[in-house]
Amino acid sequence: MARIGVFICHCGTNIAATVDVEAVAAAAREFPNVAFATTYKYMCSEPGQAMIKESIEDYNLDRIVIASCSPRMHELTFRKMLKGTKINPYMLEIANIREQCAWVHTDRAKATEKAIDHVKMAVAKVGKDKPLTTSTIPITKRALVIGGGIAGIQAALDIADAGFDVTIVEKEPSIGGHMVMLDKTFPTMDCSACISTPKMVDAGAHPNITLKTSCEVEKVEGYVGNFEVTIKEKAKYVNHDLCTGCGLCQTKCPTKVPSEFNQGIGTRPAIYIPFAQAVPSKPVIDPTCCLKLTKDKCGICEKVCPLQAINYKDETKYTTEKYGAIVVATGYELVDWAKMYPEYGGGKYADVITGLQFERLVNASGPTEGHIVRPSDGKEPKDVVIVKCVGSRDQNKGKSYCSRACCMYSAKHAHQILDKIPGSNVYIFYMDVRTPGKGYEEFYDNTRADGAQYIRGRVSKIFKEGDKLICKGEDTLLGKQVTVEADMVILATAMEPAANIADVAGKLGISIDSDRWVTEAHPKLRPVETQTGGVFLCGTCQGPKDIPDTVAQAGAAAAKVMALLNHDEMETSPMISSVDQTKCSGCGYCVEVCPYKAISLIQVPGRDGNRKVTKTVADVNSGLCQGCGCCAATCRTGCIDLKGYTNEQILKEVDALCQ
Amino acid sequence: MALSEKDIELKIREEAKKALATGEVSCVIGWTTTRFPDKMKPFFAETEAECDELVWNKYCINGTAKYALDDRYPSKKFAIIARGCDSRAINRMLKDKQLLRENLYIIGVVCDGKENPICEECQHKNPLTYDVLIGEPVPEQIDEKRFAEVEAFEKLSPDEKYEYWAKQYDKCIHCYACRNACPACNCVECYADQYRTGWQGKASDRIQNQVYGLTRAFHVGDRCIECGECERVCPMGLPIMRQTRKMLKDINDLFGDYECGMPDDAMPVLGGYTLADPDEFM
Repeated sequence: MARIGVFICHCGTNIAATVDVEAVAAAAREFPNVAFATTYKYMCSEPGQAMIKESIEDYNLDRIVIASCSPRMHELTFRKMLKGTKINPYMLEIANIREQCAWVHTDRAKATEKAIDHVKMAVAKVGKDKPLTTSTIPITKRALVIGGGIAGIQAALDIADAGFDVTIVEKEPSIGGHMVMLDKTFPTMDCSACISTPKMVDAGAHPNITLKTSCEVEKVEGYVGNFEVTIKEKAKYVNHDLCTGCGLCQTKCPTKVPSEFNQGIGTRPAIYIPFAQAVPSKPVIDPTCCLKLTKDKCGICEKVCPLQAINYKDETKYTTEKYGAIVVATGYELVDWAKMYPEYGGGKYADVITGLQFERLVNASGPTEGHIVRPSDGKEPKDVVIVKCVGSRDQNKGKSYCSRACCMYSAKHAHQILDKIPGSNVYIFYMDVRTPGKGYEEFYDNTRADGAQYIRGRVSKIFKEGDKLICKGEDTLLGKQVTVEADMVILATAMEPAANIADVAGKLGISIDSDRWVTEAHPKLRPVETQTGGVFLCGTCQGPKDIPDTVAQAGAAAAKVMALLNHDEMETSPMISSVDQTKCSGCGYCVEVCPYKAISLIQVPGRDGNRKVTKTVADVNSGLCQGCGCCAATCRTGCIDLKGYTNEQILKEVDALCQ
Repeated sequence: MALSEKDIELKIREEAKKALATGEVSCVIGWTTTRFPDKMKPFFAETEAECDELVWNKYCINGTAKYALDDRYPSKKFAIIARGCDSRAINRMLKDKQLLRENLYIIGVVCDGKENPICEECQHKNPLTYDVLIGEPVPEQIDEKRFAEVEAFEKLSPDEKYEYWAKQYDKCIHCYACRNACPACNCVECYADQYRTGWQGKASDRIQNQVYGLTRAFHVGDRCIECGECERVCPMGLPIMRQTRKMLKDINDLFGDYECGMPDDAMPVLGGYTLADPDEFM
């Protein structure tokens, strides 16, 4: 016979104001197998917990129900409390009478009735609870960081400094990401490259960090503490062990294609080091435009290379390595505004550029050596229009979210133009100006004092008339049409997640939202964790953010990784699926629906009548299973049970409610 | 020229003998006569002599495919005389991993319908999967009225619908004939046969009857091959196909054109997980 204790929390007045807790306790005393029921002001407090522990002894309880807030809040608290008692921590059920009852109702009588039902269901369920024990699995003390932007670099450096091996996988030929493309950073006007390239060099030279550039994650298997990751290394056609990065090859290469690093302003050769401060500072060949690789002509780079480092026969290589933790730092891209906004010329005017293109224009190491000139004719622009929220905060054409960094970088661009071009005019079309950051509002104030003219409204059309770009828009504060004749237009385009994020997320078994941003495990309390154990996130793969937030998040993700890798082995949750293999038909639909790839079909010896046969049945990997229950819901035979939420327990709850 | 009924019967016997002669086949599943001229019964021909007892006429109604599940671990192949519906049933069980293709030898027969009302709605007279085919393939018809009955029924009020189904299921006697005949009902141990799990009450009362009806409909909903065996075998005359057709109609509305038991690799729509699944709810 079970001896159940029921503890009903007032939660101050959170519950007690709407639910008659004493009436709930009185009702609970009448439920079958309830040996004791009481109420308390704050059950989670130290005296509250002490009272529960005492009651367990006094009334010889063997399982308890706590009627309080959501189990997401304090289930773990109460489990920890039970560790010091004779009761197994999993002989506990939480009846959520706060979020699901007191907070959503006003009628006290009806809310009390509902709270009694909640408790009744929990009592029915706890009666079928079984003691569960955690097991441990060993941990591989190495981390993988996917993405070598500032987020990935910072996370890798922090983890490596703590003494763990880290691998950075970067799809481009150099780490650095977007930050190294920027000219100055707001609001302090630090040189972006000056503060990010030392970190890149540190990452490249750190004894605990392995850089894998031109690489992508091909396959991820395993589970927290024990991931097996296959990394695809694209052919570089240059032996980086021999190459010294002298750069002779790229000066002789006859091919010229638009430079990705300079955002299409300026060119690069087919064999190239992406930018002067690249890490590793060694070239790769772009096989899509190299004359030797596309047409079997030229071959100059091979001839001029003093170290014979060029290898045209290089191939894609795959390596598989083990990691204990993975950090996703895949960053962002800018939306393709040309497709979204044909009214802004749809890309046919060379002088309508993005903010990132402007960063390259104004950068001393950029294609114009820092001179702000029009890409079309190289003339210095006098009148510049900046259009904000291009693709962001636009549910009709673009994304509904705010891209967060654009207000500030647009102010910075205005400041730079007014500073560098005497007598220039800058007009900024905006919806709102959002400056929530340290020193941000002051920077905005200074930009306006510099002479930037803010016009509240969207630009409806940009077209060319002679030498000028005519921007038509509305000043919504004055309620009238505005026309600005501009020499150059800068579009503050929205950030969106990296193009292949769905692919990466699928390989890792993590979820993405409708805008494809990676979903964190809890928006407030677990912001750098994902739903999959051992996979963490940082930077703009989770949502638009600026550099300080990105770096802070990278540090936070690194701290989580360190906390995980610091242990030799880890406890796994016992609330996972189990298969009754005697009933299993081996149809494999559970394998298909499992988001964590935790179920596989295995062959087991069995009997069919008096014959010995080999049966195919489902098998759960306890390290991978996250206890989501998709498999249990899919199984028609009902032979999959989620421990702690067994089919029997759910049916008992339903029965209790329907009685 | 299309083969006559008799020609097909002779061809079936000939192919059955050939199959047995290979030594790889333990028996041929088809039909034979009973003492009633308008009733044929399933038949397992294990010898060359028995092959001459196989028949083909408009009363060969029973599905043949599901008998292959009677021995889940066969030492030899089964040969199955398969019409379009039987071939879809085989595809169903292959997809559900209950049969292995290498354990089957499929003698496909083009069928122009039997003395069975559902044959009038048939969209697959030609077998979809076979090792040898008897008869010339015929053009397939699209059944425009596939969901007509469901559409008409949907117009009733919720109360009227409940009243209708309550009355129907009050007749159910839990004989599970619908399940036994269904090629999609292929679990080793059906949930309804398990005791002390709390899934299915054994009493024949309104609630338990309805629980069975609903659960069965959902279990086969996205895997039903529309052979109509469930409804044909029901001794109490319940319109069971109307339920599964409703499921299939909803799936067609939500996921696009959908038919089960095709020889492709598509997973049942409700039994798969793809990266493209939206997960805004998480």
